[in-house]
This record gives sequence, structure tokens and C-alpha cells, in this order.
Amino acid sequence: MTMLPRSTPGSRKLGLVIDLDTCVGCHACAVNCKEWNTGGEKGVLPDYDKYGGQPDGVWFNRIHSYETTESGCSRTVNFPRSCLHCENPLCVTVCPTGASYKRADDGIVLVDTDLCIGCKLCSWACPYGAREFDEDEGVMRKCTLCVDRIYDESLPEAEREPACVATCPARARHFGDLGDPESEVSKLVAERGGRELLGELGYRPTNRYLPPRRATIAAAPLEAPAQTGRGIGAALLGLLDRALSR
Amino acid sequence: MNPAASVLLLTTLTGFAYGLLAWIGGFAAAGVPPRSPGFAVVGVVIALMAASAGLFASMWHLGRKERAWRAFSQWRSSWLSREGVAAVLVYPIAAGFAAAAWFDFGGTAMRALGALTAVASLATVYCTAMIYASLKPIRQWHNPHTATDYLIFAIYSGAALYATLHALAFGHARRAAAITAAAAVIAWFAKQAYWRYVDGQTPLATLAAAIGLPESIEARPLDSPHFTENYILREMGFRVARRHAAKLRRLTLLIAFLLPFGFSMIASLTPWSLVACTLALAFAAVGMFVERWLFFAEATHVSALYYGRTI
Amino acid sequence: MPARSVARTTCYMCACRCGIKVHLEDGKLRYIEGNRDHPVNRGVLCAKGSAGIMTAISPARLTSPLKRVGPRGSGEFVAISWDEAMSIATERLAAIRRDDPNRLAFYTGRDQSQSLTGHFARMFGTINFAAHGGFCSVNMAAAGLYSLGGAFWEFGEPDWEYARLFLLFGVAEDHDSNPIKLGLGRLKERGAKVISINPVRTGYSAIADEFIAIRPGTDGLLVLSLIHCLLAAGKIDAEFLVRYTNAHHLVVESPGAADHGLVVRDDAGRPLAHDRRSASIVDAAATGIDPALLGEYALPDGRRARPAFALLAERYLDPRYSPEAVAERCGIEAATIRRVAAEIAEVAFNQPVILAQGWTDTAGRRHESMLGRPVAMHAMRGISAHSNGFHSCRAIHVLQMLIGAVDTPGSWRYKSPYPKPVPGGPPPAGPRGPGMPLDGAPLGFPRGPEDLLVDETGEALRLDGAYSWEAPLAIHGLMHLAIARAYEAGPEKVDTLFLFMANMAWNSAMNPGETTRMLSECDASGNYRIPFVIVADAFASETVAYADLVLPDTTYLERHDCISLLDRPIGSAHGPADAIRVPVLPLDRDVRPFQEVLIDLGGRLGLPDFADANGKPLYSSYADYIVRHQRKPGIGPLAGFRGEDGSAIGKGAPNPEQLQRYVENGTFWSHHLPPEQLYYKHANRDYLSGSKAMGFIDQDAQIVLQLYCEPLQRLRLAAEGHGPRQPPARLRARIASYCDPLPIWYVPLEESMTERDRYPLHAITQRPMAMYHSWGSQNAWLRQILPENRLYLHHDRAAEIGVEDDDWVRVYSRNGSLKCQVRTMSGVNRDTVWTWNAIGKRAGAWALALDAPEFHRGFLLNHVISEYLPAKDDPIRFSNSDPVTGQAAWFDLTVRIERCEPDEPAETAPQPGANPLRVRPKTEKTP
Repeated sequence: MTMLPRSTPGSRKLGLVIDLDTCVGCHACAVNCKEWNTGGEKGVLPDYDKYGGQPDGVWFNRIHSYETTESGCSRTVNFPRSCLHCENPLCVTVCPTGASYKRADDGIVLVDTDLCIGCKLCSWACPYGAREFDEDEGVMRKCTLCVDRIYDESLPEAEREPACVATCPARARHFGDLGDPESEVSKLVAERGGRELLGELGYRPTNRYLPPRRATIAAAPLEAPAQTGRGIGAALLGLLDRALSR
Repeated sequence: MNPAASVLLLTTLTGFAYGLLAWIGGFAAAGVPPRSPGFAVVGVVIALMAASAGLFASMWHLGRKERAWRAFSQWRSSWLSREGVAAVLVYPIAAGFAAAAWFDFGGTAMRALGALTAVASLATVYCTAMIYASLKPIRQWHNPHTATDYLIFAIYSGAALYATLHALAFGHARRAAAITAAAAVIAWFAKQAYWRYVDGQTPLATLAAAIGLPESIEARPLDSPHFTENYILREMGFRVARRHAAKLRRLTLLIAFLLPFGFSMIASLTPWSLVACTLALAFAAVGMFVERWLFFAEATHVSALYYGRTI
Repeated sequence: MPARSVARTTCYMCACRCGIKVHLEDGKLRYIEGNRDHPVNRGVLCAKGSAGIMTAISPARLTSPLKRVGPRGSGEFVAISWDEAMSIATERLAAIRRDDPNRLAFYTGRDQSQSLTGHFARMFGTINFAAHGGFCSVNMAAAGLYSLGGAFWEFGEPDWEYARLFLLFGVAEDHDSNPIKLGLGRLKERGAKVISINPVRTGYSAIADEFIAIRPGTDGLLVLSLIHCLLAAGKIDAEFLVRYTNAHHLVVESPGAADHGLVVRDDAGRPLAHDRRSASIVDAAATGIDPALLGEYALPDGRRARPAFALLAERYLDPRYSPEAVAERCGIEAATIRRVAAEIAEVAFNQPVILAQGWTDTAGRRHESMLGRPVAMHAMRGISAHSNGFHSCRAIHVLQMLIGAVDTPGSWRYKSPYPKPVPGGPPPAGPRGPGMPLDGAPLGFPRGPEDLLVDETGEALRLDGAYSWEAPLAIHGLMHLAIARAYEAGPEKVDTLFLFMANMAWNSAMNPGETTRMLSECDASGNYRIPFVIVADAFASETVAYADLVLPDTTYLERHDCISLLDRPIGSAHGPADAIRVPVLPLDRDVRPFQEVLIDLGGRLGLPDFADANGKPLYSSYADYIVRHQRKPGIGPLAGFRGEDGSAIGKGAPNPEQLQRYVENGTFWSHHLPPEQLYYKHANRDYLSGSKAMGFIDQDAQIVLQLYCEPLQRLRLAAEGHGPRQPPARLRARIASYCDPLPIWYVPLEESMTERDRYPLHAITQRPMAMYHSWGSQNAWLRQILPENRLYLHHDRAAEIGVEDDDWVRVYSRNGSLKCQVRTMSGVNRDTVWTWNAIGKRAGAWALALDAPEFHRGFLLNHVISEYLPAKDDPIRFSNSDPVTGQAAWFDLTVRIERCEPDEPAETAPQPGANPLRVRPKTEKTP
């Protein structure tokens, strides 16, 4: 059913918070996602021309690196891109078959690959480029927020998180309920000014990105003391004149 | 956007088909019955065949053709689903109209079925247009011109087809050719207006906004997630060189509108109706295909921003 | 319902050694994830580890032993049986050993079983053994082990929990992988400041709070300038220096004399100091003294002496180390250097970390708390891969010592079993003759000229020149010279080159074109100049094509392994640890684990420790060896679960159940140190005695940090004409200038010998995080990320040359040229270009299709690097190496870039031609 579930305040909105201040761009999340989903319940994520001239495949998560400039000051920003599990996902409403749907109870946007006819319209409707077409199966694929992990009660509770979050070596990815203002992820978003992507397009993404920041140390300049004989400065002499104890 | 042949064929062929049905039905609705029952029937059959060919071509766009029937289910939210439903509805309505014409059901039924046929046909075109017009990430599509233009182009191309059929059936098509010529002028202006509009648009977003940074920051790609083109780039990152596009725009104006206008004028004013109408139709067909190719090729998608492409 | 199971083992997609959980479905690999209980990675796993599945099923895997049938390099082989392969190897090696064991040159690559391979070399009796450390990190290891008794990366780590300022020097994305990322994440979470000093801003540097785009090879100069600022401002921890370093040790001041610059010692060999309280010369290790750090003192025998610190202060206070003097050379503004020095001082001295945790020092004094200077540092390849890297790394260690930031809270910490007494172990063993094993390990730690492996003329005994006057502290050997020197030496000196897991004909070679020529060159009678080459590898690398005999290895999921405390363990600051690998997948082809093959070979050759007195093999498998082998009584490859009942740690009788106990424990063992042992390990009585009890160290005395490196002065004195062992004349000046007991900075050697105006740009490489130390390019997932590489350069440079992204350029160095495409960026030093290393492959290798981007748009910078310095009239050419350690100076390269003409073919150059493996099946007769 591609009509959207009604979103009420306080309803669960599972999603990711990705810390651009910490992401080193190592692709761990992308590859682990690929790995999990390649054997996951949603079928194999295909690769094309694996050992040939045009290696390509379906990935749910892609890592970009950018250089940014702000008033002459530049930095490198690594940016993981995946489905944002929007509250207003056009990818769902454009679907003619009901294969794309948004779950009412946790807000996860999924594709039922048994219903999908592979018309690709959903991928056109997504401004984030989060959906990739499976040429082998002829159906659309996307991030499932590891729905087959996060509710798997055979896993220890700590492991019930998306593969990308579990594997992130810099711990730049966080998973939780963004509908609950008291959740850890919501607090993180509030504290760090978490941002939504392309808010003006009106998709109301659930995932948030924490912007890069700059830690500083306020330090008084070191005094440059007068030099004495043999080049030893007064400051050092003063320090070493004091009795030391071994 | 990737100008896939299947989608270009779909939108071009259905434009001619539903445009033709709109004219035939429209004339009947307006109380101008077909000059012969056979003309109406042949016209409907040809239109439905062309529409079917377009719809069939569009199946090639699907990854799972055998599941195409599922596409009728989500008409409440999906324009693609609505297009499917509308396209299917056209068949019995148009068939009913053709039957009415053949068995000469008389005025009211003819007028009602004609009106229904025209409305259903144009509604289908509108649904098709809205598939594109509803896509927010594509500024060249998500605007009021898209649906208007699709309707204008359907009416125009339908007129060209109608005129040719008319000339074929009756040896002349003075009035229909004049209408075609007028429609070509309108279509010309519509297309020009569209290009002026999209050329004046600003990109929907900046790369900085796309990665959650303030607009004041300038961002530039350093490394991509992958080297070879992936689905996103093939589908959404299609690029046509500005110079190339300008050439194609001029070509579109010439082939899609100017030449058909000229031949339609000839058809309407000279005895060489059939030849002129046929040439007008042929150029219109090729021209509309080029127009549609450009409609896709020049459309940019916000997601291509992530790869540093201009949108 | 498929049969599901989860096995725990240790990753080997790089050198990081993370714990993994391998999920199997019907015996097939389904998913690999990090093991949350594992001390190294705590559940996280990088891109490489996550791509392990694709490595395990790679079509590049070798499938049976191979014997060469075509010319070397042609890739033409015939498959043979293991019996035949082992007979060939055994006969060849037995003959060598009977004649001169040194004619076997045994070099291993990214090996994690060096305690076994080194022991094999020792028992075989060849001194010509080394692993890949010589072209990777020996500068770091040597500088650390000779200064602190620990080192960056493997023997130490930043204190991620308490550091407030973190200085990350040089390209370091690759060492190590997950622990640094976990640590950086923790620092960022805590709001600590990260400063990256690196020519390139990617990866770890991308998230640094401050990026300093330093000119390659000038890190040491920057650090000495920071030291200058701190000394001038008196911002040093004098108390730390006198308690834990040799800053107060008196150094003889008698220029020209045989003892000049040596530490003054009493008759028992104990260093002496001047006590200001008693105004006398006393045992420097005595407690309760007030040691002088400045001044000059008369010794009872009339000689003059000065505290080591006085020499240091005098040197670095010199205006030539002032920020203004070094700014241009380093490419960093003087004000930035002063500010960073001020930030170091601020954090170290105004924001100390004081843990309310008592501890007892080696003098038996109880301290109620632990005072820390929360300035942490880390450095790796970027420092290491320069010919001034040893001294640059020493400079960083000196900076750490001066501010009291060695194993104190918030600073850099030892990973247990380190620290070890400086300089870290026994000297290297020399040759003993035909049929004899060596007296000790082939790799060791020279203390002075007496420990060098040189002949009576002072020239190297080892093939690669390690432990000679060319590279006296080459504690990891000089693998990058092995092939070139074997070629030069000729068949009389080297008969068999035995390579394991090292791509020495391609990305691990400086100058692959020359290297492959040397491997395939014949003399007039058609015999190869290097008579026999054995390659052991799991994959069809470029080097396999140059083997005469190929011994196919398994993947890491198909065998036992041992991450041993005798080698490079996985311990952390929290305690020692080691680990094993266990076979998770059944073997589906005719290959054998290399370690098993080596043990078999040792048994067949009747080597001591591999066969008994009757020549009967001692071990049935590697697993058997891991459990039963004892290096010393009670000490074996694994430290955990020893003793009959498995309760002993470190030392204990072999436990037949040991591997089972490891498996039950998640395939690792770790020992958590109690809180009072977590810091000040170099002077922590309880820690050191515990370490001794576990067999890590032989004595539990304080490990005195070496601000002043006396072994270097001993070498230098020899160069000045003192002592019985002196360098040959051609090397005297070199030893005298580079063997300085205090850190020095000099222009990297190759750079200094290359015309700056012809080759104005520095060229360096780094390994992408998703591929570092992995065999990535054949991995179907990783190669989607990076199947080709570009040369990155600053926008301004690109504009000067007139190139834009993806334009083709030719890169010229003094050694040759290559062709590649560029990408422009802003986060790079303006005088530097760089690329990802080891992406470019030789067409035909790694079972990739011939149109693979790795072949046609990937390139190696190696093609324009030489293993030799520019030739002068030297009888023996100088290696392109650090003159102290022999570390391969990959990053000393300077180049010029020119735009290609538009009509040139769009393909990288050089293209040595495709040579895919062509293997005839076993049944066919060999000609």
C-alpha cells in the first residue's frame, strides 16, 4: 500500500544519525552493509562484471568525500549516503504496485521485491539517490535499516542494530528512535545541531547528519625569553634551578 | 535523466494515439460526426494500435514484465498506476464509440461516447505527464509546463495523424490540416516557453545542502564511492553537452513544429493534401521523438549533485 | 532451513588482527562481523574485513603447486603434486645448507608468523632473512625501541580515554586500522583536539580539528622546532626527565677521544649523574638525589662531562631551530608552529590529568596518584618512509619525553608486553657455516660496532646490507634490496630466493621494471642470474609469474595461525594478549597452509627444533607446533592457557588443550592489568615484575628512556677512527654524520641529490583505508570502490601545469617516467603530489579480465622510484634508504609533471605486457 501511514507525534521513527565530524570515510559501513544484505532475507545484492572492465554492483550505502570551503578555510568531509527513511517519501507514493511501502509502526521504508515490477520510478522520485536497481532480478533495492537484524530476537539485544552501525570503526553512526525526543539519538541531534538533508524538498527525512566541528585549545603564547650564555634561556634556567628529586 | 527508448516510444506514440482519439471523439462530441462510420472505426483502431504499441514498448522498461498487472493497484497515490488504469479504460470507451459510429447509434450516444473517449484519452495523457511532473527532484519536469505541454503535444500530434488519415480516406484534409498547422504554432510557443522557463530556473539545491552543510559553504567532490558508472549515474546522471542540446533544440523546432506547420499549410491550401499531410506527420513523429529525447536528456536529478554534477 | 553456525577466528584482511565472527550457512560463508568481545576491535570491522568473503572465493586463488615451464615471467606453469613440490624444495635447500646456508635468501611479506619463519631461518642457518618491516616501519620500530623500549603502532598506542590534544604525524591511515578509528572516534566524542600534520588531508586527517599541510620529509624539523619553543619557554617536565629518562646521565666531553660522547659509568657499568645536593658524581639511578641537567662537571679521573640534557638543550635552543628558521622549509607559518607549541604546553602543564590511583615505582616508592600530560602522539608511514625517518621519529619521542608524555595518563602508552629494555633484545646472530644453525635470531638489536654483521673489510655479510655500516640498525632487514642484491651478488652468493606473501615483482618493489628484469635475466649459458625462486602465496600475484616453484597457500579462513607474543602480538595498554586463527572453511583445492609447509620442510631437512636427532619430524602440523613448541622452557608461541591445567599465563608447560581453550575463549587470550599497573609501566614495579613473571622480560629493573641514544655514539666513534671495528673509508663520513646520539634533521637523501628545479614536487603514496595491507584489487567488492587511481595535486599546481580533473600527465623522476590521470584538490601541500598505492596491477595478474581498469588506468608510483640512490663513483651503490635503519625511503621521491598531448593513448604507462598464469594440468608431461 503506497499511501503513507499517518504520522502522529510520538510515533516511532527508526533511523540513523551520522556524525560527519567523526566519519573517516573508510567504507566499512558500505561493505559490511553489502555483505549483510547479500545473504540477507531480501536476497542477494548483485555485482556485475566482478573481475572485468566495468566492475559495478548494487549497494545500499555509498561513501563520498568532498572538500568544502568556508570563508577561505577548507576541509575534507566524508559523507555516507543511504536511504533516509523519510516521513514524506515520494518514492513510496509514486510506486504503482504497492511494492514500496513505509511501515506504520517504525517508519522504515521498504521494497517488497515480490511485488516490484522494476519500473524504476521510485528511484527517480528519491532526491538522495538511495535506491539502486537490481539488474539480475529486475527489481528495485534499497536500505532496509537491517529490519532483519534489528528485530531478530535470536540475536543478543546489543547486536540488534543495523550492520553499518555495528561495524562503524569510528563509531560515527548511531541508530535509534528519532520520534522519541528522549532517545539517545534525538538528544545527540539536539545537542549537536543534527541536520536534515535537502529539507526544502519536503521529504522530511528521518536520518540526521551531525555537522563537522572544530575543537580548539585556548593557549597563551609562549614567552620568548632572553638568551643567556651558551644559548640557554632564562625561562629554562629558572625551571632547572629549582631542586629536582629523582 | 537517461532517455530510455522504451519510455520515449511510450510517451511519443501515446501522444499521437490519444491525440487522435481526442480529435475523433472531440469532433463527435461537438456534433461533428465522422464523415463515414468506417473512418471513425479505422481511426479508433489505429489510435488503439498506436497506444498499444507505446504501452507495449513501455513494458521493456520494466524489470519484471510479467508482473505489470500489479501496476493498476495503487491509483490512489501513484500517477503511474493512474496512467495504467486510464489507458485500460480508454479501450472499452473508444471501442464503444467505434461501435456507436459503425452501428450508427445516433446523436446523443455518439456525442456522449465521443466526449468520454476524448476525456479518457486526454486524461491518460495527463496521467503520463503527471508521472514526470510530480517528481520533485527533477526541476525540468516538476513544473506546470509539463502537463500543459504533454496535452498540447498530444493534441498537436493527434491532429497531424487525424489530418493524414483524413487525407488518406477522403483525398483532402483542408480543415484538419489547418488545425494541425495552428496546433503546431501553439506547440512551438509552448515548447519555447518551456525552455525559457527551465533555462531561467535555479538549481534545486547546492551540494552543501545535499550533504547537510549550510548553503554558505562551497563543496566539491574529492572522491566518489566508486569509479565506474553505477545505476544512479546511468539513470540520473545522464548528461548532454550544452552545445549539443542547443543544436537539438533547434532541430526539434524545425522538425517537430516548423516543417509540419509548413506541410500542413500546404495540405490545407493546395491539392497535394495526402503527400503534405503524410510529410507533416512523418516530421512531427520524428520531431516529437527528438523533443521527448531532449525532455529526458536535459532533465537533471538532484541526486546527481552527490557526484558533483550540475543540476 | 539451512544449517547455520558461527565460528570465531582472527581476521587477516590486513595487519590489524581483529576478532571476527564468521557466519556459515550449510558450510558456506554467509557473513563476517567483528567480535564484540575482542580486545582489538570490540565488534567493529573495517571494509576489508567485511569483504573477506570475496577474498575467500576469489578466482585469483592458486589451486595447486606449480612448476615453471615457460621462461620466467611468462606465467607458463605445470601443476604438480605436493610430493613433487616438496621434493624439489627439499633437495634444493638441503644442498644449499650443506654448502653455505646463506645462499638461501628467505624473505616474507605481510607475514604474521615471523616467530616461525625467523626460527626456520635460524635453524636453517641463513642470516639472509627478513620480513616486510624494512620497507614499512623499521624507522618507527628502531627509533621507538632504541628510545622508549616501545614504539608507535604495534608496541604503543595513544591514551584515547584521557588525551586532550592528539598530534597525528604523517600519512598514517594504514597503521593501524580499527583501533585508531575507534580511538579517534573516542577523542572526537570527548571533544579533544586532533592536529594532523600531513601533506594530504584525507581519511584520519579529514576529521582533524586542525590540518597542517607539511612538506614531506620535514616532520622532524617541525618537531625540533616545537622542542626549541618549549625549551625556550621552560615548558618541560624536568621531574619526569630525571626520574624516567637518561637526561641527567653524564656524557663524556672530550672531543676526539675514544670515549667522547659516551655515558659516564662506574665500574659496574652504571650510568652516573651529578647530584647538586651533595655536589658529587653519583649513581644516576640513585633515589633522593637532585640531578643536574645543565652544566659541566669534572669527573674524579679528570675527564669533563655534561648531562645529556645540557647537550640537547644547547643543540635545540640554537636559532636554526626557531620557527622562523624552519617555516619555509616545512611549508608551515612560524606563527602556527609557535601556537602549536603553546597548545602542547597549555595542555601538558595547565591541564594535566591526575588519576587517583596509587602505584609503586621500581625504587619501591609509593605514589598516591598518577600524573599525566594529556598530549598524545602517533606517527607511522609518513615519518617512516623517509631517509631521515629514524631521526624524525626519535625527535617525536624526545618531544614526548621532554613533556612527560610517555605512558602517563592522557599521553602515549605502551602496549603490553612492551616496554622492553632498551634497545629491545639480543644482537643479530652471525653466520656459523655449512649445516649449522645460527646462534640466535637472524634479526636483532646491535648495541655498537661489535654487533654488526660485517666482514674484515667492514662490508656487509648479509645480502641486503642490514647490520652493516650501510644500515647499522636495520632491525627488520632491507627486503627492498633483496632481489637487486641477489642479482648483483650472483649465483655463488645466492642460490635460492624464497618469498612468502610478498609481491616483490610489483607493488612491493621499488622499480618493478628493473626488478622483473633482474628476476628474468640469464647469463651467457642461459642460466638465470638468480638461480632458483620459490614463491609461496595464496593468490596469483605479479610475483608468482617469476617463480620456478610455487607453493600455494590457503586463505586466512582455511588454516591455523598464531598471533604470537614472540612476534607482533595484539596486546594493548590494558594488558598482553595473543590470538589464533582456526580453519573455518574446508579446503576445496590442492593448497596447504604455508606454515604447515615450512614445518614440513624443516622436518624433511632435519633442522633442529623441527626434527629430532634421528631426523624424524617433530611436529605433525602448525597447530601441533603452536601447542608444543617451546622457545625457552615454559615459553611457546601462545601465552594463554599454559600449564598442564591451562591456568598459567605467559610461562608454563605446554597444554595439549590450549587451542581448544583459545577457541572457547573466542580464539584470543588477554590479560587485564590491574589499575595500578596501567601507567608508568617503564618504572612501575608491579608491572615490570609481572611482566618478568610472564616471561616477557628477563629483568624487572626500571627501563630508562633514552633521550640520548648511546649506541649511535658508539658507531660514530668507530667512524672517527676509534675501536677495533671501523667502517670502510667510503662510509666513515656517513656514519659520523647520521649516527648522532641526539635527533638531527637533514634533507632526505634522494631529495638532496636531485636537482630541485628539474624535479620540484614531492611524490608520495598512501594506501586507501578500504584496501590497506589487503590483497584488495582482486576483491569483487573492494575493487568497485577503487579499481583505478589518479595522481592528486593542488588546484594551484594543476592550474600552473594547465590540467584539470582526469587529464593525462606524464610524471618524470630521475629514475624514469610514467603516465597517469590527475585529480585536483585543495587539501594537499602545494609542493606535493600523491596517489593511492598498489591499485595499478600488471595486466594478466590477479585473475582479472584483460580490460580491467587496474591494468589500464591504474598505475604504480613505484615505476619512478629506485632502490638505489643516484649513482656516484661508489663501488657499492647506496640503497635508497634511511642511513641508520635501512628503511626504504619511498617518500623521498621528487618529480616533475607535464601535460600529455591530447592525441596520446588514454592508458597508463609503463605497461609491461600481460602475462596471465597459464597452467597445464598435472597429467601432461613437462618438456
